[in-house]
Formats: sequence, C-alpha cells, structure tokens
Amino acid sequence: MAGRGYAPPTNFGEAPKGYVPGIGRGAAGFMTRSDLGGAVAPAPGQTGLGEGAGSRSALAKFQRENAEKQAEAAAAGGGGDADEDKDFDKFEGADGGLFANAEYDEDDEEADRIYAEIDAHMDSRRRAQREARLKEELEKYRRDNPKITEQFRDLKRKLGDVSYEEWDAIPDIGDYTIKKKKDFAQFAPAPDTLLQRALDEKGVSTQEVDDGALTDLNAVGEGRGTVLGLKLDKLSDSVSGQTVVDPKGYLTDLKSIKISSEAEISDIKKARLLLKSVISTNPKHAPGWIAAARLEELAGKLQAARSFIQKGCDACPKSEDVWIEAARLNTPENAKAILARGVVSLPNSVKIWMQAAKLEAEDDRKRRVLRRALENIPNSVKLWKAVVDLSREDDARVLLSRAVECCPQHVDLWLALARLETYEQARKVLNKARETLPTEPAIWITAAKLEEANGNGAMVGKIVERAVKSLGNHGVSVDREYWLKEAEAAEKNDPPALAVCREIVRVTVGAGVEEEDMKRTWKADAAECEKRGSTHTARAILAHACGVFPAKKGLWVLAAKLEKSVGDSAAMDALLKRAVVHCPRAEVLWLMAAKERWLCGDVPGARDVLEEAFVVNPDSEDIWLAAFKLEFENREPERARVLLAKIREKEGGASERVWMKSAIVEREVGDVAEERRMLAGGLEKFPTAWKMWLMLGQLEEAQGDVDAARTAYTKGCRRCHDAIPLWTAAATLEQRSGFSAKARAILEQARTRNPKNEWLWLAATRQERAADPSGVDPEAIKAADALLSKGLQECPASGALWAEAVKMAPRPQRKAKSVDALKRCDNDPRIIASIANLFWQDRKVDKARSWFNRSCTIDPDIGDHWAAYYRFELQHGGDAAAAAVAKRCREADPKHGELWQRVGKNVKNWHDDAETLLKKCVAEMGAGEA
Amino acid sequence: MAFLLPHLRSGWAVDQAILTEEERLVVLRFGRDADDTCMSMDETLSSVADKVKNFAVIYCVDIEEVPDFNAMYELYDPCTVMFFFRNKHIMIDLGTGNNNKINWAMDDKQEFVDIVEVVYAGARKGRGLVVSPKDYSTKYRY
Repeated sequence: MAGRGYAPPTNFGEAPKGYVPGIGRGAAGFMTRSDLGGAVAPAPGQTGLGEGAGSRSALAKFQRENAEKQAEAAAAGGGGDADEDKDFDKFEGADGGLFANAEYDEDDEEADRIYAEIDAHMDSRRRAQREARLKEELEKYRRDNPKITEQFRDLKRKLGDVSYEEWDAIPDIGDYTIKKKKDFAQFAPAPDTLLQRALDEKGVSTQEVDDGALTDLNAVGEGRGTVLGLKLDKLSDSVSGQTVVDPKGYLTDLKSIKISSEAEISDIKKARLLLKSVISTNPKHAPGWIAAARLEELAGKLQAARSFIQKGCDACPKSEDVWIEAARLNTPENAKAILARGVVSLPNSVKIWMQAAKLEAEDDRKRRVLRRALENIPNSVKLWKAVVDLSREDDARVLLSRAVECCPQHVDLWLALARLETYEQARKVLNKARETLPTEPAIWITAAKLEEANGNGAMVGKIVERAVKSLGNHGVSVDREYWLKEAEAAEKNDPPALAVCREIVRVTVGAGVEEEDMKRTWKADAAECEKRGSTHTARAILAHACGVFPAKKGLWVLAAKLEKSVGDSAAMDALLKRAVVHCPRAEVLWLMAAKERWLCGDVPGARDVLEEAFVVNPDSEDIWLAAFKLEFENREPERARVLLAKIREKEGGASERVWMKSAIVEREVGDVAEERRMLAGGLEKFPTAWKMWLMLGQLEEAQGDVDAARTAYTKGCRRCHDAIPLWTAAATLEQRSGFSAKARAILEQARTRNPKNEWLWLAATRQERAADPSGVDPEAIKAADALLSKGLQECPASGALWAEAVKMAPRPQRKAKSVDALKRCDNDPRIIASIANLFWQDRKVDKARSWFNRSCTIDPDIGDHWAAYYRFELQHGGDAAAAAVAKRCREADPKHGELWQRVGKNVKNWHDDAETLLKKCVAEMGAGEA
Repeated sequence: MAFLLPHLRSGWAVDQAILTEEERLVVLRFGRDADDTCMSMDETLSSVADKVKNFAVIYCVDIEEVPDFNAMYELYDPCTVMFFFRNKHIMIDLGTGNNNKINWAMDDKQEFVDIVEVVYAGARKGRGLVVSPKDYSTKYRY
C-alpha cells in the first residue's frame, strides 16, 4: 500500500490519456475573492501562470475538451467543423444555457420538426384574408394622408413651361409681419474701438491710394455716405411713415429731446396748476413767477418760461431775483436789454449790476458797466473789487484810493492799495489804514513785511511789538494760534519774510502760556510747524525757547535735530556751540557737536570739541568712547590706544565697553599678545561680558590654538547662558575640528538652556547639513529636516527658520513651503526675501524685484537682503537700477544679517561704508554659489 | 531546502498523492523552488516533515511544472500551502480572510506543527473547516 508507508510515495506512474488533473479526482475549485475573479469563468485563451486571477479554469477546459470529443464523434454525419464557437448561443451568449452540453439526438430532432409543422399550419390559416385586410388598411391610410409632392403634382407639371423671364418677374414676398415694427433705426454710441479701427482703415486706404494700388477706397466710402444721405432724405420726405426725420437737425435735436415719462408729465401738469393759482392769487410774489418759469423750462417749453418770467418782471419789478432769472432764461442779447430795464427799476442792486457786467464780453464794456454801477452804489466792496480786477495797474491804484475812501472798513482794499503803491506811499497808506482800522492785525503784519522787503529789518521787530501792544490797547486779545499761522504764512511768502516770521514768533509765542506749560507747548508747536514744513517758524520757536530756558538740554537737542534735518550744518554747529556753553554737562550735545564736525570732514575740529568736552566732563565715559571712536575710525590706532589706556587707568574703573574697545583696537592692529592681555583684563573684571569671551575664543581660534579657544568658549558659555553667538561659535569650532557629535551636544545644551530660540535651531540644522557638504548623504539631510521641523514646532513664528525650510525644501515643494511660511508669519522680511529668491530662480524678474523691494522695505536693517537685491539688479536690472539699490542701502545703513555681519566684522572691512560692504557681500555670495 | 522534500511532477501525480493517502493529512506546497518565499517555507516544511510523519505527509509542487491547478486553486502567490484529507480540501480559519490556504511563508516550526495537528484533528472528525490556533490577521498583509 503506497499510502501506508511513512516515506511519502512520489512515483504514481504515468497518467492515463486524456486525464484532466483535479477534475479527474473530482475536485472543484473555489473563489476566494469575487473581485479578483474566480476559478469558474470559462473563456477562450491559453492557460498561463500568473493569469490565475483571470478567467479560465481547468473545469472549463475539461468541459470544452469533452464537447470537442462529442463533436468529433458527431462529425461523421454532420461534417461540420468542431469550432469553439459552437457553444455560443445567439440569445444566451457563451454560457450556453442549462442543456448546452446535452446531446441533440433523434428525439429532439423529431420534436423540433413537429413544432415547426404546427407553426406553419397555424400561419397558413386565413392567410389570404389577413393579407388582403392589411393591404386595404395601408391604401386607406395613404389616401387619407397624401404627400405634399402628390398634392401639387399637377401644378408642378406646368412649371416646365416657365421661361427665365417669368422666373425673374416673380415678386419677392413683402414684409407682412403683424408685430409692431421697430423705429427705423436704433442709435447707440459707436464704440471707440470701432472708431479707431475706422480711422486706421482710412489711414491705410489713403496710403494705398498714394501707392496707386487701390484708388477707389475713398470713393467707395463717399458713395456710402451719399447712399445714406439719400435714404435719410427719402425718410424725411415720406408722408405715410410715422416718423419724419429732419436730417440736418436730427442729431442736434437728439440732445435736446426731453424724454418724459408718464408720471413726470402728470407731475408737471399738477405743478403747473398749483403755480398758476399761486401766480393768480398773489401776483406780487416774485418766487411764484420764478417757480412757474422754471417749471416750464424743466418741461422743455422755453418759450412759455420766457413769457412767464416776462410777466413776472412786469408784476414785481422791485425783485432782483426775477430780473436775473429773466436774464438767465433769455438769449444774451435780450438779457442785456432786460437787465437794462432791471437797473432802471432797481438802481441799487449789486447783483443785477454784476450780472450785467458779466454778460458783456469785452473788458472795456464790463468796466464801463461797473463804473456806472459804482456811481449808483459807491460803497459796494464787491463792485470795487470787480472793477479793480479788470483794470490796469495805474487805474487800479486810482480806483483803490477812491475805494478806500468809500469803504474804509475793508482791509482787503487797504492792503491791495498798499501793495500797488511805492514804499513811501505804501507806508502812508498803511498808517492811514491803521488809524481807520486799529483792531486789524493783518495791516500790522503787512507793514512789517513791507519794511523787511525794503531792507529795513530793524523796524520789523519794533512794528510787531507795537502791533501787539496797540492791538492789546484796542481790546484785541493776542491769539497765539493765529499769530503762529501768520508767521508760517510769512515764511511761505514769496520772497520769504523770515525776519517777520522770527519777530512774530519772538513776540507772540509766549503770549497766554503758563510758565510751567511753556516748554511743552513750545516743543509741540515746533514739532507741528516742522511737520507742516515751516522750518523757519519751528527754528524761531525753538530759538526763543532756548533763549528762555538755556539750561534745558532737551530743547537744544530738538533744535539741533531740526537743523540737522534741514541740512544746515553751519547753523547746527553754531547752535551746538551755544548749547554746550549753556549746558556744559550735557554729553549728548557735545557728542552731537563732535559728530557734526566729523561728518563735515573736520576731524581736528571734532577733536577740539571733544577735548573741550573732556575739560568739562572728565568722568564721562561716553565722551571718551566718542573720542576713541573718532580716532579709531580715522585710522589712528596709536591715539586710540592712548585714549583707552587713559580711561582704563582712571579711578572708578572702566566699563566693559572700554575693555572690549581696547581689545578691538588691538585686533585691528594685529597685536595678539596685547589683545589677549586686554581680554583677560576685561574678563577678570567683567566675567559676564559674553562679547569678550567670544572675542577671546575667536582670537585663539585665529591663532590655531583650538584647545584654548574651546576653553574660552566653554568658560564663556558657563557664565553667560543666554549668549547665543557664544554657543553657536563653540559648536562651529567643534564642527570644524571634526567633532560633530560634540558640536551637536553643545547645541543641545544651548537649546535646553535657551528654549524657543530660533537661532539655535537654525545653527543646529545648518550644522547637520554642514556635516555633509556635498549634500548627497540622505542621513544628514534627514537629520537636518528633523531638526528643522522640531525647531519650527518650538518657534512656529520664526521667519529665519521658515526661510531656511523654504531654502532646504526640494525644488518642487518649495512653492508650497513658501506659502506655508507666509501663512505662518506674514510680512517677515526673511521669508519674503527667500520667496524673492525663488522667483529669481524661476526668472520671474518683475515679481522677484517687487518681493525684494518688499523685504528691504519691511526691514531695511538686514544687509543680506540688500545684497541679494543688489545682485539681482546687477543681473537683471542694469547698472542704473543696481546703483539705485546701492544708494538706498547706503541710506538705510544696514547692520544685521548673517552674511552682512560676517563680512562687516572682518577686520579688513571694519572701516568700510555700507556700499563697499554691499559689494563685498555680493562678491561673497557669488563665490559661495560658485 | 526543497530538495529534502518529495516533489510531485505532474497533475496526475498530485491527484494520486491526494487520493491514495488514506490515513494521513496531505500537505501540498505550491510554488517555485527558487522563490525566496518558497525557500523559507520549505525550510520550515523540511524540518518538521519528520516530526509530523505519523499524521501528515508533505509534498512540493512546482506551479510552473504543473500548471493544471493554478486556476482551480488560484495559485498566484509565490508560495501556497494547502491541506487535503481523504481527497477533501480542508479549510483553516487563519484570520486572514482566506480560509483556503496558507499563502505566506511560515518561519516558526512549532506554529506550523500546531496548525497541521489542528487540521488533522478536525479532518479526522469530519470537519471541513478548522480554526487555526493562532490568529494571523496582522501577520499577513494584502
């Protein structure tokens, strides 16, 4: 027994012929998942591995082979080919139905034959009657519903006889639409594009006429015009048509047509009725007549309006409004006549006279009318002014001198007269004016201006003082605001009356201000004036204030700032000199003075100033440091050293700044030993001065003494936990000497000491990347990414980190990243700059420019962005644009930015200005990219 | 390790192996000998073959050599193990959703022995479906 042994039997012999594995054993397949397909779906094709999910099965194969065998057996009689398609049924498809595989034997054949016979028999019954009935029904239907072609068959037959002439003579069908016809045309304004095109076409056509190619284009255009004209004529002539068009007046009429809706018309009717009753009950009431006339005008009936107002003039001749309305409604010629009648009945009406003058076209005639008017009404200022405006200078003077007699109460006239007169005469006129109008400050101010304009500056002060006094005597209180406005006006005068301005301020600025409020009020006044651009007034106010409070250094500083903003360095210098005399203890003033000198290039002058300052303030460290800075910036390290040594030796001890500056000088000179000594000395006294620790570390690093540098950093970090640059410098040192793990640890420590610090995260990210400079190591990139995302979690609003993330993201994701970044911290200059960089990479020049501009505007203190912007402009914008950027950068004088600080802190670049640094940064960027 | 196991080289042989074994479980491994998954499964199979020889017999069938069952038993995995007892396909609820077969490589011998035992015990009692002692729903991933 093969099955009983423990060793599994394998030899089972040959398979019998035609054996089908599986089926032969009686096994059936299964379908695990219907969506993958099962084992029981037969379809033609070959069996294949990996097609198991497909459509066939051993069962189907077995069935098919069976069927083939049967077909072969049956082929003796039928001779038909045992085709695979024989399973296919027209109605049931390839499934074949329940008995598809059953044998078709003789019984079946007989049954089929009998069924067929029955069918034939049933069909033969009453066939003749049935077919006859069908035929009849069809004919009946055709008779009832004849085709159109059949209907007109007899008529069509005759068409063969029609000649060509008769065809042409058949009239066209007319327009028999029942709908209301539209007006003959609709007018819509021709669009500009059309007109422009027409113009262009015309140009082309004339050009072509010149060429002689198309001579007829213009003629065609004109021909069209004539045709249109003819059409219009025809329309206008047609009597039967509803619209009759006057071709000439048509367009002008269009404008004047008043389209009245039903409602409006009824309103007008009502109003007309109402006004009629007003007029009839009270004919002496002028507004009634005017209203009636206006109503008719509104309704578009000018004639009626005119007749109404005419009646109005007759009914109430003493109302000037009626006369003016009548003049308005009539044509200019008629209006003159009406106004002439008007002045006869109302000789004292200024309005009518003015209207009459206005109607005249020529100046001469106008003048004549006005003179007539002045004869009747000599005290009308309006008339005087009108006539003076129209007259020449000489006449005007004469007229004004008469005018001031007639209306002495009007300052304008007096002032106008004074302006026209010579100096002497003007003085007299003003004096007279003052007598008649003692309460008018404008006269005084004009007098003062007059004196100043004629070089009589000394008088100005007196006049203003007297003005204030006499005005006071006449009970006019001095209003500071008013006088300050006057002062500003005097400053804005052409030519500026500066003396007047100054004097007014001097005399009036203190008026009505309490002693304790003075300083504050004056400061506010000066600020206001400066804001309005009246620097002289502001200066005068501050000068006065400084005169009153000479010991207040705030005022002096304000005044100096004002001078600085005006840009007058000499004045500022003088002012500061006075200031330091008054407040010798104010360091700010000294420093300002020295800086001003220095900025003007006067280094010895600045030195002198500082020396004086030393004399007065021997203990002021600020001044010492300023002196040091002066020497240092002017490349005088020896002097600077001496200065610093002096400060250090002073009793009371120097501050940490001094020690640091000392070290800086030594670094500049390159004296390592001395620098180390300085730093050691400084750190002994100020162990928490992280900058000095950093300097020490850098010094040692530069000397190549890594251990010493490490010690310096470690000590520094221990004492100053929150000095981020110190931590990063320490980490960089480790990284550079090849101890990445140590660097990582340092940064980790720094992060625990200073949580939520974006710079530490940034440094860590960069460090991970720096570990793999070629950027191909996926581990390093992954680590950097992880750090960055952690950092972003801790500081989600950090622009620096987001910018780094945008920069680090693979190119296709940068856009999405930048959108994210913008969403998180909108308006962060770093992110905006990085986006600008993206645009730059994509060559979207305009966008890049605007984004760079934005980043530089948001924070002009970041030098990196300026450098990127400058580089971008050099590449895409040309030299002019780049120079503009450089200029803006110089004005902004940036101090921050990673690259900027790195370049700026290089000893070689210490004394460079912003523009040089900018160029160096750009060179560095280029080198970095290459 | 396939060389340590008996192979069935034709559809006829497979059918005969299933039909003639009357007392023991017939464990068939369908797959290709050179396949990684099959190799690791064969490792398990060959090492337990002796242990279970009293109640189970294990064969390997190369599905390229013997493609007759590919459609019928849906043999499109690299490695498939099926159980038959007295010409009856015994199903196992493994928790994977496919009760017809084990279509992954098992590397734990004891687990496999346990499954064979359970199948044998169930089949002896006339069960068509047995429940695996361990749930493999997390083991096998589609």
